[in-house]
Amino acid sequence: MFIITCPFCGERDQSEFSAGGEAHIVRPKQPTELSDDEWADFLFMRKNIKGVQFERWNHAHGCRKWFNVIRDTSNDKIHAVYKMGEKPPSD
Amino acid sequence: MLNINYPKIEKKDYPNLELNLVEPIHKLNLRGKSRDFFTKAGRILSIMLPPEPNTSATIKSISALWLSPDEWMVYGKDIEKNLMLSLDSEISKLNLGSVTDVSDQWVLINMRGKNVFEVLSKGSSFDFNQFKNNKNVVVQTLLNHVDVILHHNDINNVDLFVRKSFSEHLWLWINDSSSFL
Ligand SMILES: [Zn+2]
Repeated sequence: MFIITCPFCGERDQSEFSAGGEAHIVRPKQPTELSDDEWADFLFMRKNIKGVQFERWNHAHGCRKWFNVIRDTSNDKIHAVYKMGEKPPSD
Repeated sequence: MLNINYPKIEKKDYPNLELNLVEPIHKLNLRGKSRDFFTKAGRILSIMLPPEPNTSATIKSISALWLSPDEWMVYGKDIEKNLMLSLDSEISKLNLGSVTDVSDQWVLINMRGKNVFEVLSKGSSFDFNQFKNNKNVVVQTLLNHVDVILHHNDINNVDLFVRKSFSEHLWLWINDSSSFL
């Protein structure tokens, strides 16, 4: 269990959130031109890093907004939280 | 068929805690982002939708609760049909935002007394320490794994909204927890 700071509501328990997987995966501009392998790669293949990972989270039992989290998957330490559409903090 | 009956919720008294069903009461869900939306909603309801997260605004018997950056719940006994019609024609029909009557979707239970936060803390991970000292604050969280909206409208006086289909279960849980006070 850990605490996540929702960029809108503030500090809340992890149980109020749902994880939305890896962040910043860009949808291909021309999906029809992709091979099956390339499409599968976009849909399913994730980095699944042990360490610092960029993730999307949803405050499902609060404001229901999506946002980004930089989290160390080995110890659940959260390095940064930023809104959708924003660039990740550089440091 | 939609069951329009409210679950069997009757006034209950526990040590320093009083539970009441506050129904029927009008509840509206408003969504929008534009400046026009804010102005229109403010004018029609005579209340400014609070832009500050986790807060509420109350004028007379109508309250507006912040739910998310573009979503509010407005509730009160004095929401008349004319007001609903104005919101519909001046916001919804002009595509400035959405207006939904959620009166039958949520059940309002009022909890008042010194032990309100004792009971709520038994089933929620939310930190009520600051919340309980401030009036006009709102939180959406989980209580006994059930989604709730809590409106602290006066010190030790909380309006609790729960989805109707979960209301009986949560009511039983609240009573069970309160009996151990
Ligand atoms: Zn939130």
